[in-house]
Amino acid sequence: MSILFNGRASGASDSAPGLVQRFLMGIVGHLRQAVSSLGELWRSPVWTFVTIAVLGISMTLPATLHVLVKNLQQVSSSYDQSFEISLFLKNDITETDIATLVTLLQGDKEVAKVRLIDKAAAMAEFKQESGFGEAIKFLDQNPLPDVLLVTPTQSQPAAAEALLNKLQKERFVELAKLDISWLERLAAIMSLVQQVVYTIAALLLCGALLVIGNTIRLLIMDKKAEIEVMKLVGATDSFIQRPFLYTGIWLGVFGGFLAFLVIELMLYWLRGAIANVTQLYQSGFVLNVLTLKEFGLLMAIAVSLGLVGSYLAVRSHIKAIEPS
Amino acid sequence: MLRFEQVSKSYPGGFVALDRVSFELQKGEMAFLTGHSGAGKSTMLKLISLIERPSAGRVVINGIDLSGIRSGQIPYVRRDIGMIFQDHRLLMNHTVFDNVALPLVIEGFTGRDMARRVHAALDQVGLLDKARCLPATLSGGEAQRVGIARAVVNKPPLLLADEPTGNLDPDLSKDIMRVFEAFNQAGVSVLVASHDLGLIARMRYRTMTLKSGKMINDGLLHSEDAE
Repeated sequence: MSILFNGRASGASDSAPGLVQRFLMGIVGHLRQAVSSLGELWRSPVWTFVTIAVLGISMTLPATLHVLVKNLQQVSSSYDQSFEISLFLKNDITETDIATLVTLLQGDKEVAKVRLIDKAAAMAEFKQESGFGEAIKFLDQNPLPDVLLVTPTQSQPAAAEALLNKLQKERFVELAKLDISWLERLAAIMSLVQQVVYTIAALLLCGALLVIGNTIRLLIMDKKAEIEVMKLVGATDSFIQRPFLYTGIWLGVFGGFLAFLVIELMLYWLRGAIANVTQLYQSGFVLNVLTLKEFGLLMAIAVSLGLVGSYLAVRSHIKAIEPS
Repeated sequence: MLRFEQVSKSYPGGFVALDRVSFELQKGEMAFLTGHSGAGKSTMLKLISLIERPSAGRVVINGIDLSGIRSGQIPYVRRDIGMIFQDHRLLMNHTVFDNVALPLVIEGFTGRDMARRVHAALDQVGLLDKARCLPATLSGGEAQRVGIARAVVNKPPLLLADEPTGNLDPDLSKDIMRVFEAFNQAGVSVLVASHDLGLIARMRYRTMTLKSGKMINDGLLHSEDAE
């Protein structure tokens, strides 16, 4: 609508017959601008390439660390399954009591498996393993307690510890023991690594944001005369900035894809080396790669970086260019 | 249509570009604005197209005071005013067609509708056969006519020209002026700033003369004398 001249038809929307057609025209316009922004990138290939490379590398490092952490977690979780809680039972309980306790524990859904090592069996094992066989013969009675080995269903140290505290309070239990300090340390280190990864990622992505903003700023300065003319013939700021926002999106798309390619190549290269090691250790370790969801997240982050970076540049610089 | 009411414009540092200028341009009227360079012609046009704002006084177009126009509305006001510049300000890496189509693209026109209007505008300035050329291949007069086609392609009711013949020889200048006359006869209000006094005198239109920011002569009487 015209502001100065009431009733003067202005703009395509005033002459378009229907809402649907107006909507379609809008979509066609956006598509055209998206494609022409892509063409615009070809016109300054060096800056485009540098920006894409910076964005790609900035995304590659944190994404690689993420894959590394993911694989470490896989390794550590296979260790998690090997821990057990040892329950040393009181000396004065009967076999019926033990049987009751075993049944009780087997009914607990936090417990995966219960194994009993009774006094006699423990003594036999001790005699055999320790080499004190002869000395033990002089004992009047068997000093060893009955022991229950309990495997928790959940493999996180925290859950295991909770189970330990619960079992400690059982009536027949003298002492419950779980050696989880190394597991806790591992978990702590893993979360430290994760924090470091996130911090580095945040810093790198800030850097990428600035580089994108700067590239868009250069593009804007390059088109200063054109922007002035557009403002003179009545283009709104949002119309002028739209192609630059699309340029930012394209930079994000290419940067994200570059990061993906680099990671895949690196993993492909590492796979051979890892296969050798796992074969030597006879372990069933399989190297985890990026899932489709992670690829999507990578692209989403890259595209939003491109969009935000260009928006920051566009907002300040396009407003500053005024015809004189 | 276009009215200046005691308009002054001074710049930081104390330079007074316009000093209490008043005039009114009627609907469908054509007028010239003349004076030495630095007399305030360009400033006046900039106040109309909202490139500058007046320090005092009011600029009114079609009854609407421009001081009430917010900066976000300026683009829409400019769509109602066709502007022509001395250096024609064409986009050099786009074709003639694209240059003329620019105001239509901005307003959301597409496809056949847009092409029809662009061809009509190019036809009016006699450059239909140059639609696919780049501006660099055009002569000065042709480039200026492309600038005019761009200014009129969305049929604005008001046309402003700032030294449109400044870089052209007398014959081409006369051609350009005839193009303005033709649009004026089609009902468009036209205001042309020019210091080409000889040409203006022969054209016999209302002529306003600025000197050091003051309106020293409004040639309405002048043209009546000539008739």
